[in-house]
Amino acid sequence: MFDISVIQQNWPLFWNGLLVTLFYSVISIAAGLVIGLFIGLIQLTGSRALSLVGRVYVEIFRNIPLLVILLWIYYAFPIFAGLAVTKFWAGFAGLSLYAGAFYAEILRAGVQSIDKGQSDASTALGMTYGQRMRRVILPQAFRRMIPPLAGQSIIQIKNTTLMSMITVPDLLYQASYVSSFTYRPMEVYTMVGVMFLALLVPLTFLSRKLETISERVK
Amino acid sequence: MSKSGPLLKIEGVRLKFGLREVLKGVDLSVEAGEVVVLIGASGSGKTSLLRCINLLNMPNAGRITIGGEAIYDASPAARDGNAVPARTVNRIRSQTGMVFQQFNLFPHMTALENVMEGPVTVKKANVETTRKEALDLLAQMGLQDHGGKYPRQLSGGQQQRVAIARACAMHPQVMLFDEPTSALDPELVGEVMKAMVDLARSGMTMVIVTHELGFAFEIADRVIFLDHGTIAEDGPPKDVLLRPTHPRLKSFVGRFHETADLLRPFLEGG
Repeated sequence: MFDISVIQQNWPLFWNGLLVTLFYSVISIAAGLVIGLFIGLIQLTGSRALSLVGRVYVEIFRNIPLLVILLWIYYAFPIFAGLAVTKFWAGFAGLSLYAGAFYAEILRAGVQSIDKGQSDASTALGMTYGQRMRRVILPQAFRRMIPPLAGQSIIQIKNTTLMSMITVPDLLYQASYVSSFTYRPMEVYTMVGVMFLALLVPLTFLSRKLETISERVK
Repeated sequence: MSKSGPLLKIEGVRLKFGLREVLKGVDLSVEAGEVVVLIGASGSGKTSLLRCINLLNMPNAGRITIGGEAIYDASPAARDGNAVPARTVNRIRSQTGMVFQQFNLFPHMTALENVMEGPVTVKKANVETTRKEALDLLAQMGLQDHGGKYPRQLSGGQQQRVAIARACAMHPQVMLFDEPTSALDPELVGEVMKAMVDLARSGMTMVIVTHELGFAFEIADRVIFLDHGTIAEDGPPKDVLLRPTHPRLKSFVGRFHETADLLRPFLEGG
């Protein structure tokens, strides 16, 4: 009934797909963190204009579904801009911009959760805004941000599957390709699920671990 | 710049929170080595006034000078209004030390690192020299064995003494205390008060907000009663606390008088 040979014969395609999924996960999480740090921090400077820019960014990318963002960048944006956008750039940009909005919110909430007294005490010592952030506020905020950052990153890895809709050859794209010529969707999609479980269960476990550690140092 | 005259001078300081004016033109001079205690009902503006001295609250009008140097100047005579540059503000601010009701130690640093943080980060002081000095300060506070501990491993009284050491490490010209014993369990209040009395005896200029009138009596050279954002009475503790003239001060110190009446023969005899 369950014919494992379908998987075995097409293993190179699955393997390639998994590598592509991992590749986009890593680069979009990295770029998303940079965007999130930037967008999060400009909302904390106290400047109204910068804060508004950050707010608008977050609301746009948090409230448009990722699939729509990807399709728009790949199919609509080139028509607006008169530019060719490759699959790579569409997938990378869409995922990173989307993740950046969520990371920015995590950062903002983390910093704002730090007691006002910490900022008072460091200001009273004569610290500048930068010194307060670097030495006092961010080190405490980062500890609180570890669990939500880990959680968001796991969601991000799962979200890479949406890139198959713009023909980026990730794990899901390769699986539907295999399914299209073997006519064995049961084996193929079961395998995709198993591979994600094998990847993400250990990561979830790790993030739980980090959570208990960060509880302890609080 | 002249160093004579009062160390801390506050002239016509006004502070608004939205539409509510919490300080309505306060004038106050503090001489070097003087210990001034601010008392008053909650909402009288005493904490706000204290926080104006190092600009944690930015006044809306007036002039504040420390050691003859303006930290804030919105008087008509000032050319740039209140535009004392941020760098100057941070520098002068570091000449005041502040101790908070809730201690506000940095929880991710040990007691020793808390004390070293100001000199090392703000003054770029040498780490080794600062460490020696910080250990000395902790020892003065009776905390020589606790330098390696994190704030959460210390009692409230110990945390507050670390906070005093942290403020002293900057060699401030004035120390500001905002209800330093209000958040402490009763049995821990004494150790913090003792540390403050020692500091006062060493010649430190201090401005203290407190509800502990007995402590005010013991430590203060001058007691100031604030009422609705203005100074209602200002004088030696004996006069302000034992022979108040202002009607609201009379009712404010009423509870204190019950004990003070018992003490009066001793005080006036000696």
